[in-house]
Amino acid sequence: MDLTVLPVALGDYIGLSLVIFFIGVAGIALRRNPLIVLMSIELMWNAANLLFITFARVYMNNAGHIFAFLVITVAAAEAAIGLAIVVVVFRNAKNVDVDDVRILRG
Amino acid sequence: MIANPTTQVDWNGIAPIITIAVTALVVPFADLFARTHAKRWVAILIGGLGTLLAAGLCAQQYGSTGTVFGGAFALGGFTVVFEEIVLLALFGSLLLFATTMQERRVGGSVALMLWSACGALLMAGASNLMTVFLGIELLSLALYCLCGMNDRPASRESALKYLVLSSTASGFMLLGMALLFGASGSVALSSLTLGGLATSSFLWSGSALFFVGLAFKMSLAPFHAWSPDVYEGAPMPVTAFMSVATKAATLAVLARFLYAALPTGMSSAFLLPIWILAGLSMLVGNLGMLAQTDLKRLLAYSGVAQAGYLLVALAGTTALGLRYAIYYLVAYAIMNLGAFSVAAALSDEKEAGSALSAYHALASRRPYLAAMMSLFLLALAGLPPTAGFLGKILLLSTGVATGYWWLAVLLILGTAISLFAYAKIIRAMYARPDGKAQPELPVAPWPAMISIALYGIALVVMTFYPLTPSNIVPFVR
Repeated sequence: MDLTVLPVALGDYIGLSLVIFFIGVAGIALRRNPLIVLMSIELMWNAANLLFITFARVYMNNAGHIFAFLVITVAAAEAAIGLAIVVVVFRNAKNVDVDDVRILRG
Repeated sequence: MIANPTTQVDWNGIAPIITIAVTALVVPFADLFARTHAKRWVAILIGGLGTLLAAGLCAQQYGSTGTVFGGAFALGGFTVVFEEIVLLALFGSLLLFATTMQERRVGGSVALMLWSACGALLMAGASNLMTVFLGIELLSLALYCLCGMNDRPASRESALKYLVLSSTASGFMLLGMALLFGASGSVALSSLTLGGLATSSFLWSGSALFFVGLAFKMSLAPFHAWSPDVYEGAPMPVTAFMSVATKAATLAVLARFLYAALPTGMSSAFLLPIWILAGLSMLVGNLGMLAQTDLKRLLAYSGVAQAGYLLVALAGTTALGLRYAIYYLVAYAIMNLGAFSVAAALSDEKEAGSALSAYHALASRRPYLAAMMSLFLLALAGLPPTAGFLGKILLLSTGVATGYWWLAVLLILGTAISLFAYAKIIRAMYARPDGKAQPELPVAPWPAMISIALYGIALVVMTFYPLTPSNIVPFVR
């Protein structure tokens, strides 16, 4: 691990990543619009991406970069499927609100 | 001189996965050209043949060792056993399409299920974090679509719920993977075994988040809230596949991580939260079963408890425990597929066999199905003469032998609670008809009846052969 390659301290990268991650978690927990929820999920995944890129630089190991691209690709597929499911669920509804989706009660 | 990059690629190693993937491409193509009333059987036939071919290719790899694709995918007995369990779940679930699901949706659903199985097969052999992630997402993305394949609003709702909750769990797992990468500087699971990492805070936090993700996919309490809703909403073949394949594939990843990837210096206190989750799952799952009126919901809670049972065997991380866990997993796969097959045999496209009220006085109308359902429920409860009984004894013995007696106590307690729920269904099936007009029962095709008989025979025969393949301990390189 070579921390001198980073322009700012490693802790700052991790802190930023965690902040973005928990903004995503808060978005999922608090927002009621399914599109915002999907965006929040993307935020969580991309927070992890930031961490992968950081560690790839620290270790000079491009596996982290490859992982980040893999995550971006999978996230694109996930967004496509997610939007399709949102359209199917809310096709006949006037407005989109995840609180209206409650036939199944765990 | 630059080496030809293809020399690194060993396609033979992932032949079963490629077979399933090619089958998944052929099925929708064949569906286009099949005549309207043949679409269902064309899809099941092609999917089933592809699965059998993959199972054959997979069995040939049993003795092999090493990894392919630069350490991304491990070969060997461990991988093969879990791949075969996934393929068994796939084959059994494909047969359920014979009675459930609308004809025009069968082709697409079979193809998606094959893709999902590809992800599960990838997880079985995954030996670096990228393969684990790719496998889990391939498995899950196909399942999201499959959950919404019915026209019922509940089905679509389950797809949305599964998508949001599972993607969130994947987010936690991904952050965990990033931290694990930060701990070792490599995505290979084997690099975690290096000395000096046992005290790394990255490793501790990363593993914890990784376990949260796996616990969600395995529906361990308290991360189980999605499973009853999703199981209820999803079409029946999908529920059957999800309940077995997801658990098997996740258990493969978890076992590889616990047995082969964690540094040897890790204290048992580090793993304690996992065993606590296992104990909690046994209680929550079995208590949750008591109040259910829907078979799929009941089996969802049952699955929560069974996931807890499976982890009891891993608690000491002994090689013997892993073999017992695999034995119980096979038994669980067979009894779960059996129960779902009976439910599918009583179902048409509207899935009437999912409601527990459909089982009232079943014995007087369909004695064969009622008897087989009783056998499968007895096996799920862990009573003789079934493999469920022997499996539970093995789990108990390893729990006690490794000093996790409190898990063994919880296992017995959970089993006692679950007996009420299972016995309630059996009693209802053998109750006298109450004179009220019952809806007409569909007549299931003969392959479904034969498969139910085979599951029953397998469950009884397995008790005489506690098959414990010996060279099964996972390795990472």
